[in-house]
Amino acid sequence: MKVHLPVAKEVRDLLSDLLGKPVSIEPAAPLAPGPKRPATIGVYVDDSLRVAALICFDLPLSAYAGAAIGLVPPQVAEDAVTQGSLPEVLRENLHEVLNIAVSLFNSAPGADHLRLHAMHPAGEPTPRDVLVHALTLGRRTDMRVDVPYYGTGIISVVQTF
Amino acid sequence: MKILVVDDSRVMRQIVIRTLRQSGYAGHDVVEAENGLRAVEMVATEKPDLVLSDWNMPEMNGIDALAHLRASGSEVPFGFVTSEGSEEMRARAAAAGALFLIAKPFTPELFDEALSAVLPRA
Repeated sequence: MKVHLPVAKEVRDLLSDLLGKPVSIEPAAPLAPGPKRPATIGVYVDDSLRVAALICFDLPLSAYAGAAIGLVPPQVAEDAVTQGSLPEVLRENLHEVLNIAVSLFNSAPGADHLRLHAMHPAGEPTPRDVLVHALTLGRRTDMRVDVPYYGTGIISVVQTF
Repeated sequence: MKILVVDDSRVMRQIVIRTLRQSGYAGHDVVEAENGLRAVEMVATEKPDLVLSDWNMPEMNGIDALAHLRASGSEVPFGFVTSEGSEEMRARAAAAGALFLIAKPFTPELFDEALSAVLPRA
């Protein structure tokens, strides 16, 4: 398997194009999702259905990205962060963000073709095996993302093998 | 002119419609379908002048919808707006009769580049 681990600039360009706003990015400590740190996790598989990569958004970035892509008012995102879970509209929007984010892996020449297999939204139980993958150290990029007009959160891109 | 926007994601249909406007194609009638099956039905009933379709969708995907349309004799101009931007996908799209493939995420400039040959500015 040859999975492309995107660099910070690729993540910044993708989110800026997708959210229609110039997001800024800086390195961050690894995101460790768990009961005290809810996160949305997108699971990407190759053509043989093997889990190849994850993209994790912490709860704030889940809310801000889900809101920004659909021009949802920032207050809706703030309420989601306070309540610890995402309303249906943000969940649906975030699914599309994670769906399109597959291009981070697929645009590299010679890389395996991946697709979004599942999304586990922040605030809901995450399957244990997915959580274990999310805690992988080493083959990952963790970044703090600032979405203009909305706020700041963490994204992690994790290669799972 | 009438444009049929096909995507299973509501927010992506909104973004496509917004980008049409931003790239100078405001003023056209826009109708929406949430999958390929519905798109095939709506090409018959709504008679759009252009179809902008996602690739991966439930019920019927975009490439099957295009094949279905061409097999039934429809010559409606058809372009993909999809996260599948590989050369292989572009070749499959062209072979099936698509005019262009715009990869997500896209910019108004990319839209204009693809649409300027098929759609008048309104």
